Amino acid sequence: MNRLLPFIMAGDPSLGSLPGLLAEAKALGIEAMEIGLPHSDPIADGPVLQAAAHRAIQRGATPLRVLETLAGLTESPDLILFTYLNPLLQIGADRLVELLRQTPVNALLVVDLPDSEEPEFEALLRSAGYPMIPLLSPTTDQERAKGLLARRPDPGPDHPFAQRFAYVVARLGVTGTGGATDLAPVRERVAALRSFTDRPLAVGFGLSDPAAMAEVRAMGATPVIGSALVEAMAREENLGAFLQSRMG
Amino acid sequence: MRTTEFQLPTRFGAGGLGGCYAPETLMQPLLDLEDAFRKALADRSFQAELKGELRHFVGRPTPLTSAPRLAARLGLQGLFLKREDLTHTGAHKINNALAQALLARRMGKTQIIAETGAGQHGVAAAAACARLGLKCTVYMGVTDMARQAPNVARMRLFGTEVVPVEAGQGTLKEAVNEALRAWAARCDKAHYILGSALGPHPFPTLVRTFQTVIGEEARAQILEQTGSLPDAVIACAGGGSNGLGLLVPFLGDTLHRFAVEAGGHGPALGEHAARLDGGRMGVLHGCKTLLLQDQHGHTAETASISAGLDYPALGPELAALALDEKIEVLRASDDQALEAATWLCQSEGILPALESSHALALLPELAKRGFSTALLGLSGRGDKDLSTYQSKLGI
Repeated sequence: MNRLLPFIMAGDPSLGSLPGLLAEAKALGIEAMEIGLPHSDPIADGPVLQAAAHRAIQRGATPLRVLETLAGLTESPDLILFTYLNPLLQIGADRLVELLRQTPVNALLVVDLPDSEEPEFEALLRSAGYPMIPLLSPTTDQERAKGLLARRPDPGPDHPFAQRFAYVVARLGVTGTGGATDLAPVRERVAALRSFTDRPLAVGFGLSDPAAMAEVRAMGATPVIGSALVEAMAREENLGAFLQSRMG
Repeated sequence: MRTTEFQLPTRFGAGGLGGCYAPETLMQPLLDLEDAFRKALADRSFQAELKGELRHFVGRPTPLTSAPRLAARLGLQGLFLKREDLTHTGAHKINNALAQALLARRMGKTQIIAETGAGQHGVAAAAACARLGLKCTVYMGVTDMARQAPNVARMRLFGTEVVPVEAGQGTLKEAVNEALRAWAARCDKAHYILGSALGPHPFPTLVRTFQTVIGEEARAQILEQTGSLPDAVIACAGGGSNGLGLLVPFLGDTLHRFAVEAGGHGPALGEHAARLDGGRMGVLHGCKTLLLQDQHGHTAETASISAGLDYPALGPELAALALDEKIEVLRASDDQALEAATWLCQSEGILPALESSHALALLPELAKRGFSTALLGLSGRGDKDLSTYQSKLGI
């Protein structure tokens, strides 16, 4: 099982440092990683990731420059491009596929794109090998979850984790804020999901300490570490040491 | 049994604007809201309650005031003002805020979240919540809090918590970001009263539905007072709640419909909030519409002397009506709006909000185009803008 799914914001602290960070993560045995494409209005993110996105934009991390920086990288975990729809819409599906082909990106997680809204855009990306990762939140009941997983299906065990998993949002609200997340209801939700799907699950939003990571792994799911890692990067902490402390 | 799909149309116009581009956490709350909205509309007791509150609390119907001295000054034969400035709390925003607060109570929600730009929607939500016994939190950008300070004080007097939003430019866009985040965190207990005809479905439809009372009254009133319809109907447009509220009931009529955006202080991106010419199709705050953005799809900065018009996206239904050529969208600059406010003050003894002044500023243009009678939506009163008028006009 994949032990940790880290998130970093492209361009924070700098685009120049990105290839080195990805190589370091891969050397540590990180299989997959979420990479944030900075957006001006990240409505599902808390203050830490919003500030990181704004810093990255200030430093010139435009979507195209991020994708150029990723182009040709081989020493990298499988990447899930985590972003909002508008920057991708402005690039356009055909051009986006061309740009992604050069990069280690395997899938997309577009926070403000329900599967109903841009079916052609999404179908084109999926057929080119870039599936959208489904999100399941505390407000998603079982019937709805079944539909979401069916409409954004698991491509199967011969595909990497990065393309297969579903993202379980641990709590109401946005990324990063508000202290420790109560994992008891998450355990129940994961168990309920297990009654009808065997696809890999990642759990994120509000997880930061090693104990929470271990608790999620005990559910048979992969913990996501996002805001806490982005804060550590901003403090210029060592990526390797930080990730090792969370990998269990 | 919860609904699993939207029942109402989610898109507007030939271009399919609007939609529901929301994070998964908000999808079921939005489905539940649409369900409650449809059921409330079909429920006579809800309609009666809303009508009663609009009459006895808001002060509807608002007058349609003939403005003959201003008409003569600007070269029009007749000018009629729909007086939303005379509603309780001083702007059209109360129509929607009160209706949504009633809807929230019906849904069993005990808390209200709202965003505000000029503070008029915030004040309206605060007043409605005080009246209905709901706990209200309003998110407001720090720039707007400074330039609309009287409205901050009014909200606090009504028992509302006003949360300053520091990010970005500290205006309406950032306030909406923060309100959406707050709703995602508390959607089990709270209803989000969005104040403009934007956001994810069903908000644009819901807000427009609760605001068309403006145009319905105005249409009946002008027919009663003059026996005919005007040549032109004109309203200012930020997100579009006032613009749609006045103009939609006139869509079936043979006359010209105008919406006026904020031209700010220049034509370059970042100097105005004129989305029709300056915007490209994009997605912000849950809907697809005309959006001021840079080449990378990041939302552009905006500028306007009027906080209520200072927003980078045109509401999707209004944008669709503009693109389908059912409404013509014009712009007025900061300076034009300031000057137009003085015309109304001097000629008719009415102090308009800076937002409404943008519509007034285009009246000479209507006269120039040969229209002889116009009906103008006076969306709000200008008391909140006194300090801006004082400093800019040197009075």
